[in-house]
Amino acid sequence: MERALIIEKLTKAYDKEPVLTELDLEVPTGTIFGLIGPNGAGKSTLIGILTGLLDYNEGSIIINGLSYNSSNEIEIKKDVASVLQPPLLFENFTSHEFITYVCEMYGIASHGLNEKIKSLFDYFEITEFTHVKTKQLSSGSRKKLAFCAAILTEPKLLFLDEPFESVDVISIGRMKNVIRRLKEKGTTIFITSHILEVVENLCDDIAILHKGKILAYLDSATRKELEKNSNLNEIFEQYVESGGRSVESLSWL
Amino acid sequence: MITKLLYLNWKLFLSKLTTFQTILLIGYSLFLIVMTVNLMGSAVVVIFLDSTAELAVDLPWLTPEIHQLIILVFANVFWILHFSFTSTRLLNMEQNRKLLSFGYPAGKLSWHLNLMALYHPVNMIYNITWLVFLSLQVNSGWNIPILVTAVLLNYGMIFSIKHRFLRMVEKRFRIIVFSFIFIVFGVISLLTIFSRRPESVIGQFAEHFTGFIELFYWLPGGLLLKSASYSHEPLLTTVLFGFLFTLTFLIFRDHYYKTKEGLMKPPAIKLRREAGSLLRFLKKWLGSNAGKYYYYVMTHPYNKLQVFAIALIPLVYIPLLLLVDFGVISTILITTMLAAIPVALLGMVMANLFGYEHREFLLHLQLPVPFERQLKERVLGIIVVPLFIFYAITIFELIYLPQLGSVFSIYIANTFFFVCFMLIFLWSSFYQYQQASYSSFSFKHPVIPQKVTFTMSSAIFILGYTVFVPLGEWHPYRLWVMTGLIGAISIYLWLNFDLLSKAFKNKILNQLWSDY
Repeated sequence: MERALIIEKLTKAYDKEPVLTELDLEVPTGTIFGLIGPNGAGKSTLIGILTGLLDYNEGSIIINGLSYNSSNEIEIKKDVASVLQPPLLFENFTSHEFITYVCEMYGIASHGLNEKIKSLFDYFEITEFTHVKTKQLSSGSRKKLAFCAAILTEPKLLFLDEPFESVDVISIGRMKNVIRRLKEKGTTIFITSHILEVVENLCDDIAILHKGKILAYLDSATRKELEKNSNLNEIFEQYVESGGRSVESLSWL
Repeated sequence: MITKLLYLNWKLFLSKLTTFQTILLIGYSLFLIVMTVNLMGSAVVVIFLDSTAELAVDLPWLTPEIHQLIILVFANVFWILHFSFTSTRLLNMEQNRKLLSFGYPAGKLSWHLNLMALYHPVNMIYNITWLVFLSLQVNSGWNIPILVTAVLLNYGMIFSIKHRFLRMVEKRFRIIVFSFIFIVFGVISLLTIFSRRPESVIGQFAEHFTGFIELFYWLPGGLLLKSASYSHEPLLTTVLFGFLFTLTFLIFRDHYYKTKEGLMKPPAIKLRREAGSLLRFLKKWLGSNAGKYYYYVMTHPYNKLQVFAIALIPLVYIPLLLLVDFGVISTILITTMLAAIPVALLGMVMANLFGYEHREFLLHLQLPVPFERQLKERVLGIIVVPLFIFYAITIFELIYLPQLGSVFSIYIANTFFFVCFMLIFLWSSFYQYQQASYSSFSFKHPVIPQKVTFTMSSAIFILGYTVFVPLGEWHPYRLWVMTGLIGAISIYLWLNFDLLSKAFKNKILNQLWSDY
């Protein structure tokens, strides 16, 4: 099977404090992949590295068959888009200006772009904000706008960091529909979240990241087998030690 | 509780200071001390001007009326200074509002924040100077409670007006700008006429002094003076005290409620639809990156005032300097001011090269366009506009003001001026990086801190004197030195130009990521 992303022995430390330690991970092309982990597991750092915002100390990254280095950087970025948490927008631009600017930078043809923007805005019910500066938008609308921009750049690999945070239930459903449609078209979607329900129904393969290491890689077959006896929450707790802490220790409460 | 609040705000302030900013802060503190001594000294000198026999001999024109007029002029000018310098920034609403979630009662916080603003060194300096200045002129002990209340009321009113003024500037920008030009022009013209022929002016207007004195007594400084110098009568003092106390109470009550309201209800965001073509225009002429950057600079509310100030100062002073003609001093000042126009514009757009976009650079890093190219395009766009103005001004000088120097001298001197500051601004954009923000509600000073602006103004004039002061036969050597330095700085800038993205990644990116 083809791999959209191959990470080998990736190590990242902030001031000698390791965040990712010899991390290995492979994500099959054309799947929806979920990376789950508790707070501080290193998910955002990993996304930061994969989207070119952070450097790393050791290891190698291959994205869409290209080794991540300065000579391939632009070639890789052309096929990658991301929605981070909190989403990154151009604050002084209107929603429309923001999307057209990003598409321009990705070299997306302007022919038919306005119709696409219009239909996406309509689908996510943000049409009324078309000519409103993005800094005036609510956090949910910001997330939806960043998602629309990412889709319009026609990526082969899409990184979504906590994609449903601050988004209303109806819009979450619509975002999931779009994500599934993208998968059908061959796009690989990499989702990180600390909320298990988010990835449980949507993702094909899931990996558990804890203290900078991948503790488990659950492909769809393994998940089916494990979920016969327990849900994802219980599986997660098995891997990520809770340290035997119980609420009983808060006797004063 | 208020001591903890002061401590917290002080810690917050210190934690944001870089070494360079600490040095600036020390310089600024020294300036404040000098200012205090000057103000106090001036106040005492003005009051006791007619008390020594020597002065009476040296200044025969100093009649009691003129002395009274001088005191009144001082009081009113001092009031204008007080108005300009009163700091409303200490409220730091955005940060202090968070204390509400930790159980700090809103009412108490509002009251403490207002006290904190009163404790600001600049506010303290002015209020204490008023107290000293007025106390030295009291008619009787009964004037003291009146003048203390009047000083408090004065502070409260200035604070209130400044808050409203800041908000008004945003809404009625053009009217304020034109009114300001009118007032400044008028005042400066009067001062110039007066400074050229003081005796004839005094002689001409001597008979009208009584009228002036009456007028000045009704201006804010004069009213404060009256509170100290009126003749005490029990009924009058009681009525005055009651009136002033009620007003002071009402104005501080208003501050209290307004601050509390501000704490509890941050300004609601009204969705505003934009339909401008400015961005398209700038992108077309300057490219996507420089166009975006200029769009941010031009739409930043404070920059309209910056541009206005840059245009106004030379527009007012240069015609006056040409008219009055102070010889060499005029030449130095005119050339420095003209050379400073493109530099000030460059400072506005370049000193905070990354601060306007701040975290957005993370998104720029993700775009499939080499980051180095994006930054270079920005910097080139930034330089092009001030450079265009630089050439326009240099040509203007050469054609219309040939008395300022030879073609070669002016060209070299202006170029030297420009590249020196370009180097400073490039350093500043990396080493003094901070997010550009603006909010009249929270009173945060935008874009470039006051301390930096103050230092920059001093630097401009120091460099102006170094570059433009006549040196006689040594002049050619200075030209050679400047030419050499222009070459060295240009090479340095060119090399660093290539390292822009590397420097960005080393110095700024980590901060952006940790702020994220």
